[in-house]
Amino acid sequence: MSILANKDTRVVIQGGVAGVNAARRMAEFCYLNKKSLYVEAFVYPPDAGKTNEVPYGSGLLAIPVYKAVAEATKNHPSINTSLVYIGADRACAGTMEALNDPHIKLVSMITEGVPEKDAKLLARQATKLGKVFNGPSSIGIISAGSCRLGVIGGAYDNLVACKLYREGSFGVITKSGGLSNEIIWICSQFADGITTAIGIGGDAYPGTDYVSYLEMFENDPKTKAVVIVGEMGGDLEERAAEWYGAKKRRIKLLAVVSGFCQESLPKGMKFGHAGAKEGMKGEGSARSKSDALKKAGAIVPPTFGALGPAIKETYEEFVKSGQIVPVADVPASDVPRLPKTVEQAMKDNEVTVVPLIRTTISDDRGDEPCYDGYPASELINKGYEIPHIIGLLWDKRLISKQEAEIVKRILMLSADHGPCVSGAYATILAACAGIGLSQAVAAGMIMIGPRFGGAVTDAGRWFKYAVDNKMTVDEFLAYMKKNVGPVPGIGHRVKSLRNPDKRVKELVGYVKSLNIKTPCLDFALQVEQVTAAKKDNLILNVDGTMAAVLVDIGFPVDSLNGFFILARTIGLIGHWVDQKRQDSRLIRLFDYLVNYAAPKRREVPPLK
Amino acid sequence: MAKVLEGPGMGLMKKWGITVPNYVVVTSVEQFNELAKVNDWIQQGKLVAKAHEALGSRFKLGLVKVGLDRKGAEAAVKEMLGKQVGSITVAQVIVSEMIPHKEEYYASVKSTRAGSEILLANCGGIEVESNWDRVKKLAVEVGEKPASADLDKLAKEAGFTGPVAKKMAEFANKLFTCFDNEDAQYLEVNPVVVRESDGELIALDAVTLLDGDAKFRHPDWNFQFAAEFGRAYTKDEVEVMAVDSKIKGSVKFIQIPGGNIAMLPAGGGASVYYSDAVVARGGKLANYAEYSGDPPDWAVEVLTEKVASLPDIKHIIVGGAIANFTDVKKTFGGIIAGFRKAKSEGKLKGVKIWVRRGGPNEKEGLELMRKLKDEGFDINVFDRNTPLTDIVDMALQNK
Repeated sequence: MSILANKDTRVVIQGGVAGVNAARRMAEFCYLNKKSLYVEAFVYPPDAGKTNEVPYGSGLLAIPVYKAVAEATKNHPSINTSLVYIGADRACAGTMEALNDPHIKLVSMITEGVPEKDAKLLARQATKLGKVFNGPSSIGIISAGSCRLGVIGGAYDNLVACKLYREGSFGVITKSGGLSNEIIWICSQFADGITTAIGIGGDAYPGTDYVSYLEMFENDPKTKAVVIVGEMGGDLEERAAEWYGAKKRRIKLLAVVSGFCQESLPKGMKFGHAGAKEGMKGEGSARSKSDALKKAGAIVPPTFGALGPAIKETYEEFVKSGQIVPVADVPASDVPRLPKTVEQAMKDNEVTVVPLIRTTISDDRGDEPCYDGYPASELINKGYEIPHIIGLLWDKRLISKQEAEIVKRILMLSADHGPCVSGAYATILAACAGIGLSQAVAAGMIMIGPRFGGAVTDAGRWFKYAVDNKMTVDEFLAYMKKNVGPVPGIGHRVKSLRNPDKRVKELVGYVKSLNIKTPCLDFALQVEQVTAAKKDNLILNVDGTMAAVLVDIGFPVDSLNGFFILARTIGLIGHWVDQKRQDSRLIRLFDYLVNYAAPKRREVPPLK
Repeated sequence: MAKVLEGPGMGLMKKWGITVPNYVVVTSVEQFNELAKVNDWIQQGKLVAKAHEALGSRFKLGLVKVGLDRKGAEAAVKEMLGKQVGSITVAQVIVSEMIPHKEEYYASVKSTRAGSEILLANCGGIEVESNWDRVKKLAVEVGEKPASADLDKLAKEAGFTGPVAKKMAEFANKLFTCFDNEDAQYLEVNPVVVRESDGELIALDAVTLLDGDAKFRHPDWNFQFAAEFGRAYTKDEVEVMAVDSKIKGSVKFIQIPGGNIAMLPAGGGASVYYSDAVVARGGKLANYAEYSGDPPDWAVEVLTEKVASLPDIKHIIVGGAIANFTDVKKTFGGIIAGFRKAKSEGKLKGVKIWVRRGGPNEKEGLELMRKLKDEGFDINVFDRNTPLTDIVDMALQNK
């Protein structure tokens, strides 16, 4: 037996994330007790119509979310209990809704910071309707072996440690959430554990007082003794003492009260829960409560620490008188173990997992990203720049200052080439059609290929091939003609020997001014001499120049197109922002720019 | 509970139809003189000046002056402003008109479990304190309003007769309406006086305690709540309060000068048992602190820094029950970061740290604490198998 929460309890949880978390804890308790989950519904208007996922064992349960309590109880008529996790400003209305629902007999309010007036109105309504309103600020209610309402009892290991999978003989009523758990633990260590533990909340006016719960415990034959953890303030402990002293009670009452420190504190200073406040005339002090309880015959240990031995003594008396028959503990092997997450199981060396992907360049698991092992902030603080990051992420090496300067110049020279080229034009076209930044830039990026900007990698590959194989220019050109086709990196639509590409001149001039070996560049320039002599525009273009230089400073061939893509992204973003800023209109081609070479209009033959 | 100073308190009463004396709250002599120019009552009648701060015994401290003329009030304002009383600097003075009267009465409304109680007495001022049996009560259930017949009866029981009885019943009704609508926890007017000029009842003083949790539905509560223990909040207390207002869960901190046992326990309930244990062992608390509701680690770190910065402390009690959902590893991470920071600033020299805790991830959390030993902290760590407050016993025996 137990009180309030039992095997027939069916729950609706009102509220969002906190409520879902509570349901997860409740599902763990159900798993421990090998019962199905008794949370049948959530009420949370923003998510109405969806389901909340609640892990149970290694599976997942989908619990429906409704807009209103009435809707939940209509669909799940066995619901008889509501847990309120709604924010303090809306909690009163939501709780009233639950109290007024004919299906619901018990409402426990977890919300903290509820105005006192609201708490009183809710308590009054519950009394009027003959229902139980527990809280506000309640940690929950738990009956060993049968039902847990809220997160009371804590983590799974604690449920097991406190033997909450089977019923004991002690009832617990506390204002404090943490201490409810502490007493549950003490009852399991010094005695046979609990029947039901109730957190009534630490507010000034808990919805249900100690006396109402004491009455329920008195009528629960399985409960032999009740432990109250009291606090200064209010008069609930005095009322409990009055009740206990009024006549011979079946249950034994043990109690401690906190707040003695108040006697030696500066006047007016108050600690602890909202309800822990002394009255104007000194009533409600820890001492007066403690004395009242003692006088009524309750066992009142002098300190919290002495509670354990007092519980033990009480338990042993019950055993001696035969009122409690000790039960053997369930062997640990018979207690279900909560399935671990893969992460935890890995930590405990119980499983291995084949990784899905492998990375060799960066790691984000610390407090900042590391590029090839170097923390980003340290790179910044030691004067490294963007080209060095490119070196680390594209080629896993720290390039030199000189190499970084070359990379920087390449990026600067290739950042943009006006609105007419394929990439920029595509981005502008997209921007004018109202397309967003990333898609419009992607549209431009799609243009990068064999005919526009995408020849860097291939140029680098073949120049490197020639140099590696010590080919002469003639051998190379013959090989290319036979096996590949036009030489990538050679030739330009508009530039020629007479109209040279300034970018190429600039880059070649700079690299040549440095005292470094440039076999690929030298070879490419020799090739140009031969090809340009044949045809004026078969010059070494900017792609070819970049490619040769980048190969010379050690970048892998496969990364070479990346330099153009990276550089040109700067320009593409610029074009998109530029069109956006001007609020450009949708554009379309004029038909005079199209050569309509399709067949003339003709009659459609009948369908055969 | 949130205490409100006299000025805003009287403002709320006035809002609900209670007649209060004319008053101004000033922060400078110049402001007072400007207000005197436009308010006839300042120039013509007798005045009262009081320091407008959360201070007890203002009379004794010379921070209440009565029977002043305009010049006298100006001098009083000048004298009081900037005066230092303990940790409080007088920053505001309330100047109100003196109401000539003979009779003084008492009226209050207080919160009870069932709703509220209206209290009336036909004596007032300090007289009511020594004649508490003359105070008569009327209980009003929450959600209800007092019937006018019941109020009449209450006034009669309290010994009011004739036209004053009717007026007192009306006054009580207004005070109740103010209480009910403003989410008050306690309203007291002492004294209520009969103005000689027209026989009207005036509230000469206002004690106002509001329910701070109801602030969300009172956009016109544009005043600051006052500290309740007769001193201003310290800088560190204000900083912790600022953190508390921003986070999920809570962190609390109150300094107690002269103590040497610093407290850093978890839980609104357990923290008081820890404080009790220190006092019971003859220790002197240096502070009250508490963190609960799974607060973020940075908030616990701020709290830890404040606790570690308390002067002349010998022990820090990092106690706590077995948490339901506060992550021990995470919150201890905040405490450890705070301790490390304090140590790097040269604090915590010779301070012994005592830890006892249980709850989610307790093993990992306690292990992290134990490792602080290797960094040179004087720390003793216990788990759930050590009863809650035993660390206090060990700490205090150890001295």
